[in-house]
Amino acid sequence: MKQKFDKSNQVMQKYSIFIILFAMIIICSFLNKNFLSVNNVTNIMKQLAVGTILAYGEMILIISGMLDLSSGAVLALAGVFSVNFYKATGSLVLALLLAVIIAVVCNMVNALMVTNFNTPPFIATLAMQMVARGIALFYTQGQNINQLDNYIVFGQGNIGPVPISIIFMIIITIIIWYIMRHTRFGRSLYAIGGNEEAAVASGINVRKNKYIVFAINGVLVGIAGVLFMSRVNAGLPNGAVGYEMEGLTAAIVGGTSFSGGVGTTLGTLAGAFIIGCLNNIMNLIGVNSYIQQIVKGCIIAIAVIWDIRSKSKKSAKVILVEEKEECK
Amino acid sequence: MKRKLVSAAVSMVLTAAMLAGCTSTTKEAAATEPAQTETGDNTETTEEEGDSYRVAYIARAQSDSFAAWLANEIQTAADKYDDITVDVFDGQADDEKENAAIENAITNGYDAIIVQPNNGEAQRPYVEKIVEAGIIAITTNARIDGIEGASSVDADPYEQAAVNARAAVEEVPENAKVVVLNGPSGNFHAEERRKAWQAEFFDKRSDVEIVGEQIANWNKDEAVQYMEDWVTSNDKIDAIISMNDNMAAGALEVVTGKEEYKDILSYGVDGTAEACLLIEAGTMTATCLQSAIDLAELNMETVHKLLTGEETQIDTDIDAVFITKDNAAEYVDMYKSRGLIEQ
Repeated sequence: MKQKFDKSNQVMQKYSIFIILFAMIIICSFLNKNFLSVNNVTNIMKQLAVGTILAYGEMILIISGMLDLSSGAVLALAGVFSVNFYKATGSLVLALLLAVIIAVVCNMVNALMVTNFNTPPFIATLAMQMVARGIALFYTQGQNINQLDNYIVFGQGNIGPVPISIIFMIIITIIIWYIMRHTRFGRSLYAIGGNEEAAVASGINVRKNKYIVFAINGVLVGIAGVLFMSRVNAGLPNGAVGYEMEGLTAAIVGGTSFSGGVGTTLGTLAGAFIIGCLNNIMNLIGVNSYIQQIVKGCIIAIAVIWDIRSKSKKSAKVILVEEKEECK
Repeated sequence: MKRKLVSAAVSMVLTAAMLAGCTSTTKEAAATEPAQTETGDNTETTEEEGDSYRVAYIARAQSDSFAAWLANEIQTAADKYDDITVDVFDGQADDEKENAAIENAITNGYDAIIVQPNNGEAQRPYVEKIVEAGIIAITTNARIDGIEGASSVDADPYEQAAVNARAAVEEVPENAKVVVLNGPSGNFHAEERRKAWQAEFFDKRSDVEIVGEQIANWNKDEAVQYMEDWVTSNDKIDAIISMNDNMAAGALEVVTGKEEYKDILSYGVDGTAEACLLIEAGTMTATCLQSAIDLAELNMETVHKLLTGEETQIDTDIDAVFITKDNAAEYVDMYKSRGLIEQ
């Protein structure tokens, strides 16, 4: 009986963030009859796509002991160049490629500053945030770029019944999950974030891996830039302000530890869904904007506290068991 | 040592690549834009030898598309006056930075300072300092009322929304369900426009139900998200009432092409290039032009009159031009001539 209870307790602790998400979905479905409708679930996923893709970038950086404060600005920079490039060439593939290249170049500069010049990631990416936003505004003279024609297919098109932005999100989720879970590179990131010196001592090429992490983040930000601009049918040089915080929030709510070395892809996805569902249900039931902010802040704090507490109980239990075994 | 050299070389190459990108875009922009401005604390001058009056224009935020457009048009309008040069400064949507820019302009001894406030009350004491320093002060978009000795040039935000609201009283169907998109809380134009809709439309049409109302901060992307949720939670929406065009265009993005929303009405303010195109295409119903061109020209005319002593104090507004399908083509042509819409 006790064993059974312990087992269910362990399941509760391991999957705490998913339990929170599940509970939230149940509550939301009672609050509004449309919440679980196909249209609304599709809406939530479309609205989440950009933020979730950015969150994966933040997640792998945080796991490696870094972070990116420039992703919103780089997204805007890559997006406006991509939009104009599409208008000049008419090629969707090249426009997507250009966005990715621009975002990767920006992230390589971040990586250079962090790894070669030992600049704290916070400062390096903050500087990039300013530079990237400045270039985007300078390039467009602060004006929106309109008349995007078929460019909007990325953010508004469907393949069958499924929106393309959701397909991007699913594919990226699978790739990131695979990298983090099943590759040596992914495991090495946990080691770097957990204890960088130990990682170096164990033969991991930390510098190279940090470059790769920033490059992956660049690819994700570039794709997010294209999805964002096509979703709003405009090149917005002042768009996506604060999106890096949305990405960071989703990753942290999803259980990624700011101290590095801890975090999962599915946890981040759950974190993004918790925030997305919250935004969605509050709009559906017509909660006032100011109240929305209060509720969102409180629920995020409660979710993270619950998650941390259940995980710390779990680790305390593991330590106790280990101590008992040592005593024997 | 070798590694350090390689790092330095790589960083130089990357920096050079970014600067090269900037340079080429600058040239490109210069070819299409009538005037250039810079963001940050730096200034750019349209100065030529022999000019006699120096004017500082403190923009609210060059990252705001309307503010950036207005700053560009201010410089274009200044080019028409041989005796005026304009330096543009960026308040970066930050009261502290905008106030610092005003103080710097006073210290630099400009003959006139035009302030586009980020927050009227936060800039009020600094505009008063301009007057105290004996420098000509103008507040614009939005004006700061009640500063003795200061002039103002603005559009009337109440009237801009009211022209839409008066038309909507006739056009919006009986027992309609509408959604409302508001500008940032505390923003003078946002609040005046909302007041106009209340007084000129909602108070007269008690049959109309607001099924969704949120602050979308003038942003298109936020409006898209709100509209997606409202479409899900409501069987029908008859009209989009937006305090600016950006948000109206964002909401329309969600329903465009959907048969059940083909008759949806939508109202905005600003008369942006995008809104004029949407109105011409029959997608959007109406907007009111807040022309940066007119505002800039009126600012330059006002500052010139004040500098030459022709007048000592001026408070004036540009007209609230109502744009519908009937006259949208005229404004599309205007934007085409400015290079803001492709030919």
